[in-house]
Amino acid sequence: MAEETLRDLPARAIIGHIAEAAARWRNADFPPRVRATASIEARLGYSLPVIEYALDRLFFGITAQGLETAITAELGSVETLDGPLLHESAVGAWARGVEWAVVVSSDTTVGVALPAALFALCAKARVVVKDRSDALVAGFFETLAEEHPAFSHAAIALPWDGGSDPIEDELFTTADVVVAYGRDEALAAIRGRCGPETRFVPFGHRASIGRLSARGVQELDAMRADALVRDALLYDGEGCLSLHATFVTGRTGALAQVASLLAAAGERAALEFPVGTRTPERIAAIAGYRNLSRYRAATRGGAMIDTGTAVVVEGSLDAPPPFLPGALVVIPISGDDDVAAYVAAHQLPVQALGVDVVDPAAIELAARIGAVRVCLFGTMQDPPLAGHHGGEPRISPFVRWLDTQ
Amino acid sequence: MSDPAAALDARILAAIAAYALDDDAFLALAVDLFAYQIANNRPYAAFARSLGFDADRLPQSLEEIPAAPAAAFKEQRLATFPPQQCVLWFQTSGTTQGTGGRHEFDSPALYEAALLASFDRMMLADGQRLRYLLLVPDPRHHPHSSLGFMMDVVAEWRGDGEHGWYVSDDALALEPFLDDVQRACSEDRPVCLATTAFALVALLDALASASSTLSLPRGSRIMETGGFKGRSRIVQRDDLYREAAHRLGVPISMIVAEYGMTELSSQYYDALESRSVTEPRVKRAPPWLRSLVVDDQGRPVPDGIVGSIRHIDLANRGSVIAVDTEDLGAAVAGGLVLLGREPGAELRGCSLDAETLLRRRG
Repeated sequence: MAEETLRDLPARAIIGHIAEAAARWRNADFPPRVRATASIEARLGYSLPVIEYALDRLFFGITAQGLETAITAELGSVETLDGPLLHESAVGAWARGVEWAVVVSSDTTVGVALPAALFALCAKARVVVKDRSDALVAGFFETLAEEHPAFSHAAIALPWDGGSDPIEDELFTTADVVVAYGRDEALAAIRGRCGPETRFVPFGHRASIGRLSARGVQELDAMRADALVRDALLYDGEGCLSLHATFVTGRTGALAQVASLLAAAGERAALEFPVGTRTPERIAAIAGYRNLSRYRAATRGGAMIDTGTAVVVEGSLDAPPPFLPGALVVIPISGDDDVAAYVAAHQLPVQALGVDVVDPAAIELAARIGAVRVCLFGTMQDPPLAGHHGGEPRISPFVRWLDTQ
Repeated sequence: MSDPAAALDARILAAIAAYALDDDAFLALAVDLFAYQIANNRPYAAFARSLGFDADRLPQSLEEIPAAPAAAFKEQRLATFPPQQCVLWFQTSGTTQGTGGRHEFDSPALYEAALLASFDRMMLADGQRLRYLLLVPDPRHHPHSSLGFMMDVVAEWRGDGEHGWYVSDDALALEPFLDDVQRACSEDRPVCLATTAFALVALLDALASASSTLSLPRGSRIMETGGFKGRSRIVQRDDLYREAAHRLGVPISMIVAEYGMTELSSQYYDALESRSVTEPRVKRAPPWLRSLVVDDQGRPVPDGIVGSIRHIDLANRGSVIAVDTEDLGAAVAGGLVLLGREPGAELRGCSLDAETLLRRRG
């Protein structure tokens, strides 16, 4: 008897298997997770609590409900992945999954490739993930195969070593969809290797910023400062959802108060999420930034608080964020126009806008600066599975609509 | 020039001329220089004050001397004299950041004396009078290039009366260079090829594409300087030196790296005894220049441990005595070993970074 493939399974069954596998990975003592954790720690140097936090966020977010919500929001229903559904117009539509999808994570953001791969699988596509942190994706795919053998042929994890694997030429030219995460050069190189009909979905490097309203400044307390600082310091500020600069609205003197609260929060964050291993280059860059900030504070004035593990610096509208671990840049503004002008002047591609309250003004600001997400401080690093990462749909890239009349 | 400045210059020039300065004498001169600078250089004085040092509390050791970050030269004028007394200035490149700054001088005397004294000992120990073939910025087109100025002084005072510049707007003038090499060969005149690492790569690429090798006259040497920051192509030093030796007919031991920066007035060179290998080479400072390798909190680290390099340059009389850099290195017996970027360093994260942002903005 022929082995079942994903095409033979109802989409809800696939979702169920994925959710079951994710549930097993929520256990920090699950052996494949333990191995993946060790591999990530050795490779990236993040401290154990940081990696555990990342994996918890990832796997607690992968639920049947979350997947179904995302799919339904985009396609109308989960069942439309199984075959044509007759609509009122009498035109049937089938969101038929593509044959092959390739997901490339050319940088080592923990687990970034996994959600895209899982949505491809929900669409019943076969997927190859090329990932530097292959222990995580490979381990999860093994768990999926334990849930149902159809995944063993449909979900393949291979290491990405910078684009030199000869198999990639065939992969990229024959894939229906290539999703790629990486720096500009990596994306350009991958795009250049895709076939003419390949759907290419790039996720380039981006920045995230925050804006504290005047009321947010007034209400900022230790708990709220902890939330904001976690957004900035987690993963050494190296994620596209990391808070890279915080704009502080308000009266003179507000900034010093904010800086002081953030510095204290930075010290607490360092206990919860200890700094891991950094390259000498990174350490030197941080030290250089700290020295320069101290010099600027001494010669021009402005806030500068160095806690040893974090440095809170009063930034200026004239300088882009430093993009350095442990750097909390606060920039005084008189209103949202300053934020928009800053983003335009520095040509920042903004991923998320963190705010103290998601109100119409915050949404308007997010739209003005081209952000693809506006959210509360403390949730920036915890995007929902159904969210449109990079402003892109989740499952749509992996289906081709087949209309029946 | 003020009397205190002149008095300090006289002491520093004496040390340069003697090419000797023991630890106590270095510290004494350094502290006097620091006191002079905080009295005459307002930003540096403010910075020093923020670290707890002023005229009433002077540093007691080299480690205590406040080191201005190299990037501070881009922030504001860092000089001990009024702008109208500036007779020479060099443009700081700014590495990966956008704008540059200025390193100003109220006299070229210290700079010239320091560079010639070091060059004589580290490049011309055999006393040769060489012909200088210069693959560095031409001071006629780049009057504020410290490297161009330095090699112009060397060629003027130590050359054979003929020298040539072969880089213009980052492009290599290959034909004139080859013509002058040919002439030097026919005259059996040893040359010093002074070049940036990037220009050397361009030269070697051009020779390789023409399947050509040169045989520079016996006694010729190469002074290579600078890295590959901001360049699209990076060549490991070992490969570069081996290819240079092969294509130019110069022994590896006669290829010498100079390490300097616009924010300093003095230079390091490969120590004579480390030139038989390509890596690692020990960088040796002249007696009036010291380095400290420090951790991310600015504390000195033990020998052999990698950290950021801080320079204490007595020839920086007109600006700041101590400069913190983001260059990496380790102190070793007899000097300093510089560390380049780790080619295999793991990339982390999907955040924008400063270099990418700068590149995207053109």
